[in-house]
Amino acid sequence: MNVDLFPLVLYSVIVIVLIVALTAVSHLLGQKRKDHATDEVYESGMLSVGSAQLKISVPFYLTAILFIIFDLEAVFLFAWAISIRETGWLGYAEVFIFIAILIAGLVYLWRAGALEWRSQRQRDDRLHTIGKSGVVNIDKKTGKAHKTEQPKQGGAH
Amino acid sequence: MSILFYASALVAVLSTIMVITRVNVVHALLYFIVSLLAVAVIFYTLGAPMAAALEVIVYAGAIMVMFLFVMMMLNLGQRTIDQERVWLSPNIWIGPSILAAILLVELLLGLITTDATIAHTMVEAKEIGIALFGPYVLAVELASMLLLAGLVGAFHLARK
Repeated sequence: MNVDLFPLVLYSVIVIVLIVALTAVSHLLGQKRKDHATDEVYESGMLSVGSAQLKISVPFYLTAILFIIFDLEAVFLFAWAISIRETGWLGYAEVFIFIAILIAGLVYLWRAGALEWRSQRQRDDRLHTIGKSGVVNIDKKTGKAHKTEQPKQGGAH
Repeated sequence: MSILFYASALVAVLSTIMVITRVNVVHALLYFIVSLLAVAVIFYTLGAPMAAALEVIVYAGAIMVMFLFVMMMLNLGQRTIDQERVWLSPNIWIGPSILAAILLVELLLGLITTDATIAHTMVEAKEIGIALFGPYVLAVELASMLLLAGLVGAFHLARK
């Protein structure tokens, strides 16, 4: 391997020095207090409630799967990018088709709603609660969103 | 180079043993990341820097993220730890371990009797690109179809 490793080594050294310096400075200059609230769990100023074992919703999982597949597609593009001159027009045509299939998949997922965070029902509910001016109307008594009438298409106004 | 190989091989074996024996799933996953990184170093010492980089990007990066999400989704805390402890009783793992040990002995005997050395054939990343988009261009095409099928299939399975 005749790769010049000096920039990488220098970069690593700078990163380590920076981290050590930041930690040391904050250790030296920062105030140290030992109150009854010091060791409590900090959660944006609120007292934390319940355990950390939550049910995570399915869209996270779907996003992770889609990420892996697009990541794998990027791997093929890396391999092409470093041999772009050697592979010539054949490689170019192949990678063109490859990206076209990739985009077809992306368009399909987009149209099918895979990238939407809300479920179809939540989206419908949201459409109902948004008024004509785009404002969500909340009932002051019940605290729930008003169900506004959907504006009719080509209405009789 | 061979010291690097044996050190990372030792790390890989030890961390993989820890993956199997940990009762807390997240601890096992952390050891699994170490194992994958050690395998990446082994690939590098054997002269395959591209495979090493992919091991880190795809396995330690993407697939571990996936595993973590699954663990978070099925996260039940102490109950799963207790369940795992019950499952890890000796009368369950002793059978497969004996069979695997026989295979290991066979493998070691085979390695000792054949005069094998650690190969040092450098495969540059550029050569992989040239091979993929030259003679194996059809395989890349099929891979793109497979990935497309994976995208659509994953979406519909997750939706259910």
